[in-house]
Amino acid sequence: MGGVAVGDPRLRNRRTRGLAVSRRWRQAALVVAGWLAFLGLWTYAAHNWVNPFILPTPANVLDEMWLIVSSGELFEHFQWSLLKTLAGFGLAIAIGLPIGFAMGRSRWWRAFFHMPVTVAGNIPGITYAVMALVIFGISLEGPILAVALISMPYIAINVAAGLDGIDRGLMAMSTAFGRTGRQVLRHVLLPTVIPFVFAGIRLSFALAWKVEAITEVFGASNGVGYMIRQSYDHFSVAGILAWMFFFVIFIVLMERFVLQAIERRIFRWRPAEVTS
Amino acid sequence: MSAGTAPVERPRGGLIGFAASDRGAQVASVIAALLFWQLLGSGIDRVPTPAEVVDFFFEQASNGVLWAAFYNTLDNFIPGLAIALVVGVALGLALGMSSIVRALLNDIVVVGLAVPGVIWALLVILWFGFSWKAPVTAVALTAIPFIAINVSQGVRGVSRDLMRMSKAFGVPRTKQVRQLVLPSVMDYVFAGFRFGVILGWNAVLLAEWFGGRNGVGYQTRLFYDSNDFTGFVSWVVFFIVFIVLVDRLLLERVQRRTFRWREQGAAKLKGGA
Repeated sequence: MGGVAVGDPRLRNRRTRGLAVSRRWRQAALVVAGWLAFLGLWTYAAHNWVNPFILPTPANVLDEMWLIVSSGELFEHFQWSLLKTLAGFGLAIAIGLPIGFAMGRSRWWRAFFHMPVTVAGNIPGITYAVMALVIFGISLEGPILAVALISMPYIAINVAAGLDGIDRGLMAMSTAFGRTGRQVLRHVLLPTVIPFVFAGIRLSFALAWKVEAITEVFGASNGVGYMIRQSYDHFSVAGILAWMFFFVIFIVLMERFVLQAIERRIFRWRPAEVTS
Repeated sequence: MSAGTAPVERPRGGLIGFAASDRGAQVASVIAALLFWQLLGSGIDRVPTPAEVVDFFFEQASNGVLWAAFYNTLDNFIPGLAIALVVGVALGLALGMSSIVRALLNDIVVVGLAVPGVIWALLVILWFGFSWKAPVTAVALTAIPFIAINVSQGVRGVSRDLMRMSKAFGVPRTKQVRQLVLPSVMDYVFAGFRFGVILGWNAVLLAEWFGGRNGVGYQTRLFYDSNDFTGFVSWVVFFIVFIVLVDRLLLERVQRRTFRWREQGAAKLKGGA
């Protein structure tokens, strides 16, 4: 492992442009090499070690992905899953915001909700999927409920933490100037808390998206999870892998671009280091 | 939601002081959860009440099904976790210490993070059929990326000065890993492992649900398929209670005990140096 050249602090200090550029190229080349090695190993394994039914080649999976895109299935089912996830987040906010408020404003309510919220945030996703199955059967509401249940604790905890850090001076001033409770809520508390609601969603997004898919695998009639289930029922490894890659690409794109952009916008007022 | 224990309702007429304390709030929370469950159970046909679940627990415990199922599941779960721990830590160390490995493999690990347990579960069943290899692999594949990412972040947080100094003094790599990197990433390893336990539990249950011939996930599905909702919900409660107990009572405690040395160690180091 010759990690010396890249990690060497002396190189970092020499701010010559040529070096920086060549380092970036090297980095990019390594990333590409990593992917090529991965795909090469996969292709080799698919051709030599196991039969293509067990492990289709990357080309097969790519074909399958193209089929999914060109048939319009991709758009249709992602749309359904996304809609259900968003509805679930809506429900999670409706439940989690009041709970977070109570936890942030009162010690008693904090103690009251502490255990249920930490437990709810730490149990396996299959739980929510089967709960939704019990309550709704095969339905549209099941995944919505599952998303709401898994992301609610994150929203509640974040809102509670946000209220903890609220500007006490501002609160004291509001009362000193005779603002009503409603005005304080509208102009001080809510604006403080909204970024934290979003932080809760951001933290739980990947988790919620996965639970949504699990719930659809168990019981749904559309959505990404439903299509994964269809592939499984047809013993199509290529189908599962194709949907898996779309699934992963979607998470990565959401995390890298959408969520980070919104986060930067919402937390713009904060000093740069805190945003992390 | 300590759902496994018998729903002992405390007499309400306690002291007001107790009711207002934190402890009182916790008790109130448990009672409220049980009441909510009771309400749900009597309102929705398919949801059993707490008492029914407790009854069912004793039934399954006395005929031995419960112990056999948990034994079979743990028999897959623990080896899967062990594999995940070894591979995850090794991968995490490599990712954290070498920028070449990071450039090569980071993307692939990130993809692994994004793959839900259910996809691994379905894939391993198609790959291995109804063998023990399926759940073991599902657990390992689900947990490895989380442990690896945690460890690599821990490694990158290791004091750069110490690393540079040890390099300057020609400390061999293995010694660096053993005496500098590993001790300081232990809590990252543990945090990743705790998370891996929850995700791995998810994966093992899913694998058993879809393609097991025994175990907790299989039992749960058996009752679901036979439309016995009391049995089904009870099994769900069993596996939730189990993982909550393992996480809260076992792992959290071990974690706290393991890192107690830190304050003492820091004091000693100062004196010794």
